Amino acid sequence: MVVLMQLAILLTLLWQTQGLADKKPDRVISISAERFAYNPSKITLKQGELVEFVLTSDDTDHGFQISEAGIDVAIPPIGRGEARVRFLAKDKGRVFFFCSRPCGAGHNLMRGEIVVK
Amino acid sequence: MRVILPLLRVASGRLILGVFLFCVDASAQLPVDQMKRLEELERKMKQLDPNFQPPPTFEDRMKALEAKLDQLLAEKMTPPPPPPAVVAQAPTPAPAAPPAATPGSALVSPQQSAGPVQSVVVSGDYKATTQEVQLPVSGYMDFHVNKERGDNWRPDFHRFVLLFGHSFSDRIKFWSEFELEHSLVEGGEETGEIALEQAYLDFLIRRPLNPRAGMVLMPVGIVNERHEPPSFNGVERPFVETVIIPTTWRELGFGLTGDIGRGFRYRSYMTSALNARFFNAEFGIADGKTSGFDANMRNPAFVGRLEYGGVRRLTLGTSFYSGKSGFDTPGVNPRVTIASFDGRYSWRQFDVRGLFANIWISDAAALNSTLQFQTGVNPNVASQLRGYYVEPAYHLLPRRMRHDIVAFARYENYNTQQVMPAGYQPLEQFRRWSWITGVTYKPHPDIAVKFDYGFNRNRSSVVQAIDSINLGLGWWF
Repeated sequence: MVVLMQLAILLTLLWQTQGLADKKPDRVISISAERFAYNPSKITLKQGELVEFVLTSDDTDHGFQISEAGIDVAIPPIGRGEARVRFLAKDKGRVFFFCSRPCGAGHNLMRGEIVVK
Repeated sequence: MRVILPLLRVASGRLILGVFLFCVDASAQLPVDQMKRLEELERKMKQLDPNFQPPPTFEDRMKALEAKLDQLLAEKMTPPPPPPAVVAQAPTPAPAAPPAATPGSALVSPQQSAGPVQSVVVSGDYKATTQEVQLPVSGYMDFHVNKERGDNWRPDFHRFVLLFGHSFSDRIKFWSEFELEHSLVEGGEETGEIALEQAYLDFLIRRPLNPRAGMVLMPVGIVNERHEPPSFNGVERPFVETVIIPTTWRELGFGLTGDIGRGFRYRSYMTSALNARFFNAEFGIADGKTSGFDANMRNPAFVGRLEYGGVRRLTLGTSFYSGKSGFDTPGVNPRVTIASFDGRYSWRQFDVRGLFANIWISDAAALNSTLQFQTGVNPNVASQLRGYYVEPAYHLLPRRMRHDIVAFARYENYNTQQVMPAGYQPLEQFRRWSWITGVTYKPHPDIAVKFDYGFNRNRSSVVQAIDSINLGLGWWF
């Protein structure tokens, strides 16, 4: 019985996330990455907003990492497609995203900020 | 809840797999749909771990799946240190990808998350870093074949550069660049160069204020900080950014870097000084860079750069440098001041970039006298050096194509004898200009096959500038 309840909880959580994945995002935000900056580098969201980031590169491949959200994806180089990451702005606060793929001399400083108001 | 949820996931995962195994074992024969389900599970597991290889027999396949699932869940249960405001959330793809998913789509599993954003789904042409084979280093290579009029073709593996980085944490990061030039370094011979081009620690405190210390690249001009071969046209770097502005110019120092909002960012350092002993008429101040060897900070130099990148594909920058350079020339301590402006812009298939730089050297007459007294040769150092270039380029193929062909032409004017101190005449062969025209072909965004022809001219009626033809292959990884 306990196991069944645990399974039900797990499936409910998965179903909720699946629901968010299927839901149309409130906003689609394009972010371009180029040695050694994101554009835009500061993104302000409203609490409760479901947003989708469309990540493209204007040169080599870059990373898009938010440690706190457990996201770390590689943005393909120019002409090789795009990565899409969907977020729910669930709480007020701020979080950094940064490049996780070594891309040159300014790699360490290649980062941006998401602010949820 | 934080402790229970991962346990729930393990228990539930085992339950699902157990039920599935029971159903499979209960059947003497394997129905087609169950085989399909097994193959589907294996396919999804391969999405999680491309190295996953199912064994040949059915029992072993199930065992392998179970073991892999346990391993992945165990990895996810390892708790990362929670930041103050946000709780980590691992990107575990769910058993089923969303129906509309593009290749590589993965649902992010719900876990405890007290942070401002909760990731939901990742899709598109992305690759999770856990799915990639990555080398622990990156780098770039530059292989040239050059020919000057009247000379032979000369192959040269110009640069073999490895870059190493390390993140001690999200806020303390190390970056370095180690270079071998011209293939060979041998003691006592005139050979290539092994050099530490950069090696510094970044302390990321706040977006506008981040200390940096170590061997730093001087943030002057475009190429100093962006010199990966695929990032510029032409086999060789622009003359203005080698003769007027030294590249790759690095010094020991420390300072601040940051992003001050609205697209503006800056770098500002206090560094070791240039050495005026090596200033000369042909290369101006370029030979005076210490590159960290026998450096001196008796009179530290100050360098800063302000950059605007608030509009996509537009970068505007201005750099300033000031420092006394006479630590090795007793009796004279000339101040070198540099001001430069540069910009890059891309619009559809057009690119354009340009740079202007002016350098002032104080006490140039006294410096010439001192160096002539020391060496017996008048270096004819000028009071002012000036250079500029403009480079339009056109992408012959649309940007969405996987291959890229860029045709470009660059006009450069670089004068290391712009203004002479009283009593000194300019050497006209160092009042130079060039047209560099060529093509860059990129079979991959990180690989550049280059060809160019340089029409080089100067004002001298005695010493003629020599045209050059260059082939190059450069790559970044």
